[in-house]
Amino acid sequence: MATSSSTPATATQRSLAERFDPKTLAALEGLDFKARYIMEGFLAGLHESPFHGFSVEFSDYRDYQPGDDLRHLDWRLFARTDRLYTKRYLQETNFRFYVVCDTSASMAYRGSQAWGSKLEVARLLAAALTWFLLRQNDAAGMVTLERETEAPEFIRPSQRQTQLGLVLRRLEALRPAGGARLARLLEHTVRLIHRRSVVLFFSDLLEPSESLAQYFKQLRFHGHECLVFQVLDRDELEFPFTDARIFEDLETGQRRIVTPAAARDRYLAGFNRFMTAHQELFRSLEMPHCVVRTDADPWRALALFLAQRKRLK
Amino acid sequence: MAFSFLNPWLWMGALALAAPVWLHLRRRVETNRLLFSTLRFLDDSPRPRSSPLRLQDVLLLLLRALALLLLVGAFAWPYLQEASRLVIRESRVYILDNTLSQQAANRFTQDRERLVTELTRAGEDIQIAVVELTDQPRALVALSDSREDARRRVRAIQPSFRRGAYLAAFRMAQSLLANSLGERKRIVFLGDSQANQWKENLTTPPFLEQVEVELSRPGASNAPNLALSEAQWQRIFLGDKALLQLGVNLACSSPASNATVSVRSGQETIVTRSVPLAGQPGIVALQAQWEAAPGRWLQGEVTVAGEPDALAADNRVYFTVPPVREGKVALLAQSPYLRLALSPEVMRGRWAARVLDPTRLDGEADAARQAEVLVLESSYLQSTEVRTLVERYLNNQRGVFLVVNRLGLAAGAALRDLGFEVGRPGQAKPEQPERIEYFVSNHPIFRPFLSADYGKLLDITIAQPQRIKPLEGMALLFSSSGEGLFFQGTRFPGRLFVLGFGLDRGQSSWPSHVSFIPFLDLCLQNARPGETTPLDYEPGSTALVTPPPDAAVKEVVLRDGQRELRRSPVVHGKAQVRLPDQPGIYAMSYDNAPEPERFISVNPNPKESELTYLEAPEALKLWKLERQGRAADQVALGSPARISRAAMLEQRIWWWLLVAGMAGLLGEMIWTQLRPQHP
Repeated sequence: MATSSSTPATATQRSLAERFDPKTLAALEGLDFKARYIMEGFLAGLHESPFHGFSVEFSDYRDYQPGDDLRHLDWRLFARTDRLYTKRYLQETNFRFYVVCDTSASMAYRGSQAWGSKLEVARLLAAALTWFLLRQNDAAGMVTLERETEAPEFIRPSQRQTQLGLVLRRLEALRPAGGARLARLLEHTVRLIHRRSVVLFFSDLLEPSESLAQYFKQLRFHGHECLVFQVLDRDELEFPFTDARIFEDLETGQRRIVTPAAARDRYLAGFNRFMTAHQELFRSLEMPHCVVRTDADPWRALALFLAQRKRLK
Repeated sequence: MAFSFLNPWLWMGALALAAPVWLHLRRRVETNRLLFSTLRFLDDSPRPRSSPLRLQDVLLLLLRALALLLLVGAFAWPYLQEASRLVIRESRVYILDNTLSQQAANRFTQDRERLVTELTRAGEDIQIAVVELTDQPRALVALSDSREDARRRVRAIQPSFRRGAYLAAFRMAQSLLANSLGERKRIVFLGDSQANQWKENLTTPPFLEQVEVELSRPGASNAPNLALSEAQWQRIFLGDKALLQLGVNLACSSPASNATVSVRSGQETIVTRSVPLAGQPGIVALQAQWEAAPGRWLQGEVTVAGEPDALAADNRVYFTVPPVREGKVALLAQSPYLRLALSPEVMRGRWAARVLDPTRLDGEADAARQAEVLVLESSYLQSTEVRTLVERYLNNQRGVFLVVNRLGLAAGAALRDLGFEVGRPGQAKPEQPERIEYFVSNHPIFRPFLSADYGKLLDITIAQPQRIKPLEGMALLFSSSGEGLFFQGTRFPGRLFVLGFGLDRGQSSWPSHVSFIPFLDLCLQNARPGETTPLDYEPGSTALVTPPPDAAVKEVVLRDGQRELRRSPVVHGKAQVRLPDQPGIYAMSYDNAPEPERFISVNPNPKESELTYLEAPEALKLWKLERQGRAADQVALGSPARISRAAMLEQRIWWWLLVAGMAGLLGEMIWTQLRPQHP
């Protein structure tokens, strides 16, 4: 399944777009406020609440012990057998989600029309989804790379309320650094996630799809569900430059003298081939893929996520 | 001002010139650059050149080239213009000895005139500095000062009465030469080369590197001299008489057969006497004694006259004596003689004794109640409280006079704690009474007993002396068998005197001897805490004065007669008063009080009177640092292929070229900012 931001907006989506104001978002200090603002604004626009009750299921009995909650006593059984039993319940098993965020140097790019750099947008989306997941009693964890050494930084999934602060602190500490480090991040993700989980993957994917394909395949092979949020800037999608300039690669430091009028067609052709290759890859692996533009509202990405979660339920 | 590296304006200017260079380097950012996510879709675009040159930048290129050309020319200039440069051939530091000994045979004036002459004669290719040698040497003339200034400052120096510090002066000269430009570095010592000065510095590690030293020759190995020094006084009370005993040392290295010594106190001449010098040792101890009112300050001087005498400035020594201050004595003794000797009837005005109750010694822990001296008998040392009290007195720098009348186990242990060893109990005591046979006559307690006025100590008999041996201390009085009878301990900060026998008729005949009261008085005077501020200083030294804390003194005023010399502020309860360079008697008072608080004497250091000279001092050889390959270095310095760093730095045009180069870079930066930017 693949969606694209270029599909026509529905009336609901237009309403949601009015809610999203980058200036208001910028005025909110702290990632937790921004995450809540984004997610609550999004949920308020939906007709059907995505939250579902926390149900419990009866498991068995055990002998009453002094100090046990009297509400869980089975009075009927007491009437029948004249003995006190306490009911035990089996808690509903929720999902384990992992936020995997790419911090390659290319994620630092911010176009003139964008409301944030690619990493900032990915960070905000990840924070909003984490907030939502923890409210749903799902377990949320995280995998990133350490800035200097590229060692993995792993947060074990948990349902505790303190988990939100832990993830948000790590998200706020993310800084773009180094060259292409996406393949290494995927390699660590495959190695660190053992139990069946849902992986929310945030990246610009500006690396050859062949080098990434093996790791995505391994993730699927291990039974993980993957949602890929590809964060791209308008400049990368449309190449709107006009003046001749020296372009310098954020990851490799290479330089080229580019005359946009002459290079635009070649660039767009190459970029579309690149996108098509990725879409083919994700379609073959049955991985939902969503392009998030840094100059647009994030509702599409959130809607994709909710749809997938409902499907997993 | 000369254009050289020693000029501080040069360094400030160099820092200012570095600013445009730094700005230039910092502003080298490309305004036409765009950081983009990836260039993988733009691989076929051309690569930019690392330093693009365009036609419209020719002017900029020329400006840069000119700046670089000037910089290169600046660095090459010393090699190109070596023939026309002004070479500093020699850097020379004169050390002008301005100590008291230099006044002998008018040597200081001669050396000063020689220095002025050499300052006039020396050419422009010689750098000259002058260090004045006193106890605190100073650079009187720097290497960069003009000759006229140098001559004026040297002529202004007046002879001083200070002691010198040869080592410090040579170190200062070495540091001046280390920063000099001359290829040859030389120290010329204009002094008398006093032997005692050189010998004081024989252990100093070498520090004179690549420096030649020239000593002015004194002409003889020593000079005849008569000198007075180290005036010591003591107030002695003999019956109703209050006496002042004054001692001075007469140093004689002169062939004179007689010297006339005169003692004056205030306006009165006490004594004038001719002292025969033939057959006397090098230092003669002279003593004078006269009645002096105990309640007021005494000021006076001792002078000597004789021929031949090369140094007249050391023929006078000044002294000041403070009035008697009644001391406090705490008494723990049963001896009726001791109690009577310290009673008000005998010691009124000098010592106020308070008899302690041995059962109530807890109150003595209060420091305010402590006396200056504790007098006790050893029989009380059995008490723990008494032993603690003794230690407290000694640790608080107060005095203890211990009479060992009885020696038990506890007293023996206490004496060991005080630094004395006692004989074994079974050791035989002499059957016959012993006499005092020897005493240390130069100790302040026994010096007065050289005179027969106080009775003969040798007449005193000791019946039962205790066997005491000092472990940390010294014996001052000895019996005919050589055993010590009276000791001074040195283990504690306070002064401890131990008498090795009791003061009862059965143990000694001393209590009934005429010398007993003066002896006891002298012991107590020496045992009491000394004056915190001395009364005698060297010229030019600094006195640390501590006014009484309850007086709220703001300034200490130093006066010479009625003339006020200087005021020193009191900071944190202390004032640092710099004393005059001239010997004499000066008064100190607090704030604007009309009456002086104290009088002090300023006398030259007696070592300056030792007019013995060395022509080739050993210390000077030890100070020189010899290194291998030095000769080769000197050859290389003189060769035309290599120019010394000093010669390079001295090039004036070199600096102007550097300035022009830097200005060119500054102009380039401005041009870069003003020219139109490319898209």
